[in-house]
Amino acid sequence: MANSTPIQAEVLVLGGGPGGYTAAFRAADLGKKVVLVERYPVLGGVCLNVGCIPSKALLHVAQVIHEADAFAEHGVTFAKPQIDLDKVRSWKESVTQTLNQGLARLAKQRNVTVVSGYGKFTSSTSLSVEGEQSVQVVNFENAIIAAGSHPTQIPVFPNDDPRLWNSTDALALKSVPEKLLILGGGIIGLEMATVYHALGSKISVVELMDQIIPGCDKDLVTPLQRRIKKQYDNLWLQTKVTRIEALPEGLKVSFEGKNAPESELFDAVLVAVGRRPNGKLIDAEKAGVVVDEAGFIAVDKQQRTNVSNIFAIGDIVGNPMLAHKASYEGKIAAEVISGHKAGFDALTIPSVAYTDPEVAWMGLSETQAQAQGVDYEKAVFPWAASGRSLALGRNEGLTKIITDKSSGRLLGAGFVGPGAGELLAEAVLALEMGADAADISLTIHAHPTLSESFAFAAEMIEGTITDLYIKK
Amino acid sequence: MSSVIEIKVPDLGNVAEIDIIDVPVSVGDVVVVEQTLAVMETDKATMDLPSSAAGKIVQLHIKVGDKVAQGTLVATVELGGASAPAETAPAPKAEKPAEAVAAPVAPAEPPKAAPAAVVAATPVSTEQTSHDGLKAHATPSVRLFARELGVDLAKVTAGTGRKGRILKEDVQNFVKRIMAGASVPGATGAGIPSIPAVDFTQFGEVEEKQLSKIKRLTGQNLTRVWLNLPLVTYHDEVAIDEMEAFRKAVNNGLAKDAVKVTGLVFIMKALVAAMKQYPAFNSSLSADGERLIYKKYFHLGIAVDTPNGLVVPVIRNVDQKSIFELTTELAEKSQLARQGKLMPADMQGGCMTISSLGGIGGTAFTPIVNAPEVAILGVTRSKVQPVWNGASFEPQLMLPLDITYDHRVIDGAEGARFMEALKYYLGDVRRLLL
Repeated sequence: MANSTPIQAEVLVLGGGPGGYTAAFRAADLGKKVVLVERYPVLGGVCLNVGCIPSKALLHVAQVIHEADAFAEHGVTFAKPQIDLDKVRSWKESVTQTLNQGLARLAKQRNVTVVSGYGKFTSSTSLSVEGEQSVQVVNFENAIIAAGSHPTQIPVFPNDDPRLWNSTDALALKSVPEKLLILGGGIIGLEMATVYHALGSKISVVELMDQIIPGCDKDLVTPLQRRIKKQYDNLWLQTKVTRIEALPEGLKVSFEGKNAPESELFDAVLVAVGRRPNGKLIDAEKAGVVVDEAGFIAVDKQQRTNVSNIFAIGDIVGNPMLAHKASYEGKIAAEVISGHKAGFDALTIPSVAYTDPEVAWMGLSETQAQAQGVDYEKAVFPWAASGRSLALGRNEGLTKIITDKSSGRLLGAGFVGPGAGELLAEAVLALEMGADAADISLTIHAHPTLSESFAFAAEMIEGTITDLYIKK
Repeated sequence: MSSVIEIKVPDLGNVAEIDIIDVPVSVGDVVVVEQTLAVMETDKATMDLPSSAAGKIVQLHIKVGDKVAQGTLVATVELGGASAPAETAPAPKAEKPAEAVAAPVAPAEPPKAAPAAVVAATPVSTEQTSHDGLKAHATPSVRLFARELGVDLAKVTAGTGRKGRILKEDVQNFVKRIMAGASVPGATGAGIPSIPAVDFTQFGEVEEKQLSKIKRLTGQNLTRVWLNLPLVTYHDEVAIDEMEAFRKAVNNGLAKDAVKVTGLVFIMKALVAAMKQYPAFNSSLSADGERLIYKKYFHLGIAVDTPNGLVVPVIRNVDQKSIFELTTELAEKSQLARQGKLMPADMQGGCMTISSLGGIGGTAFTPIVNAPEVAILGVTRSKVQPVWNGASFEPQLMLPLDITYDHRVIDGAEGARFMEALKYYLGDVRRLLL
């Protein structure tokens, strides 16, 4: 392999995902000479290429199919949809390509040098990038590690079998299996279940815990759980997959749990049991950066690692592994390097499951409030009392808020229902601004909207609600 | 492997904050015992911080501008400079890539190219972020603003926004309050108009020089006393012909190289005798002004003029020391004061202060009390004057004395009686024996 002349960077960013490109662009805007190293030929990382964005495109397809179907009941009947999988796939790809090109343009406009190849540290001031043809050495003053994470693989499974998928395989949309098992009832698994269910697969979900989307309050998950129980073939909770055998006729999956069968045959299995940080895959130790057993890199509030000129952001520094956390951290790292007094100061990192119905939450959950002994008050407003929700043909949604009992200050909120992810933004803003229940209930919300439900929940705390009758 | 010793700031008496104003050594230097590692400055004096060990400095933990206190780590010294060459050689350690199990700590590091890189076991935090964001009632932009100014929002207690929210203005006012407090700690809040700034260059050439820290702090302290204490100064003079004759006789009997007894030592003895007679002069007023605290010890501060400003070493237990002991101690302390080597403890605990300008001249002046002391004795130059003895003018060596006292503690009549007592002892030092 040929070696090209080393390039010099004031700021090297390793990884071109949402965290990495945000950090690179911010640093460039602050006047730094930036080199962005990305192992794939396009920028955008998992999120843009094999994560959030393509999944949202496919979820929109699912939504259109479901809504069209659901309206037969209300007097509007469509013909059974014809699904041209190639066309759906190429539409999804066109969405990601548009964004890829946009990012490439943004990098160019800022004079950010993008180097393609697999970057590994060789010291605390240098990195070597193995490209297809050559090895490029980058010498840097400061580095931002944004090398992300990868789907967790379970070693005992037949991982080479093409019918055993991870999230990337599922998003590739190669085929629609007749029977699909989703291993893991978290956000990624359930989003893919939504997509493939709409495309015609018979879905089974298996989850180790006693609820889907572990970590979210149970009452917020219940409406989703009820709906998918009706739609899907099986929802096996508190169940373990002990074995997957690759047979010619399908993948034979063995279970261990109260309601699950001993074993069952599936045409495909999606393993969505979480993601692992890439900390151990970049020779961080050669830079002196400490990586823990799991592959995470510890950082302080300035995103600085144990080595003073090396920063880390995104999935690789810890959970939750979310793009909006990574980009926020990316800006901090770039600003700190540029001499600004930035620091991680957000009060919450919001979470959204783009299922149907969507589930979204932020701040303190009720479970956490109980565990921490917080003196809290809660209110849950049922969307069955929302005209807008009923007009959408849906009534299962909920809006829940948690407030501090003495001050009334908002501590946490959650939504479940169509469009819950968009409603969440107001709650996050309210939390960051230090709003209390009265601030929220006294803010005029447009009628009829789903966003009203947030004000209604606050009115329940305040005791001023008129859209419900609550006996004293 | 030679052993390593950590050198810390020693006990310097009751001093909260010490500035590092110079660090004449650097990492790698070989130092000897007593060699100056740093120069420290307190509100009263500058002093050297000597090395307590000989060896090579492997790490310096302080830099100019740091504030230190007793126990602050100053330097890590490797004992015995002999091993230095082996250490200073770059000696690239052969990297063994396959060294058994991967140790969780201390990965084999390649030689570091960037000297700036600091490697720690945990992330190196550059700021204190003690406050819990959930508790500070401030919006993200205000939190950022506070971060930029280094303000801990937990300390900004009274937000003026709706429901006590901390606004940008609250952070600004918090900073302004601190800034104002730091530059004028003596401010009484009396609302005294400040002296307007004048551009002197319009009148001619000028040069600006930074005041020494001692001068700045002395200035603040004197302003504080001036504004807080109702001061009265009472002047008188006493004939010291006999004291001088005695002093000269004593000095004549001394060996040639012995330290000569000065008049100041007699004045110290006489002052203590007068303080014993009038204990109010050896007291301090409690902070609330409700009680008087009488002292059973007799420590005297002696104002000394030094190149850096006025310092006041304290001579302890003047009542228990002989004239010769006091002479020697006074000479030593004055010398240290001029060299800027007094320790803070040497300048604490005075009961009354003597400010003598006798070596320079003068007939009278109005010294300012060194609070919390309640009185100060000023002395100017003695001179022969004609004194009416009832029948004729007689030449007598007259010493002018000025006593300034805190009128809250001492009445005018008591002040006059105290002066009479002082004159009684100085007029004939044999009376000190009575």
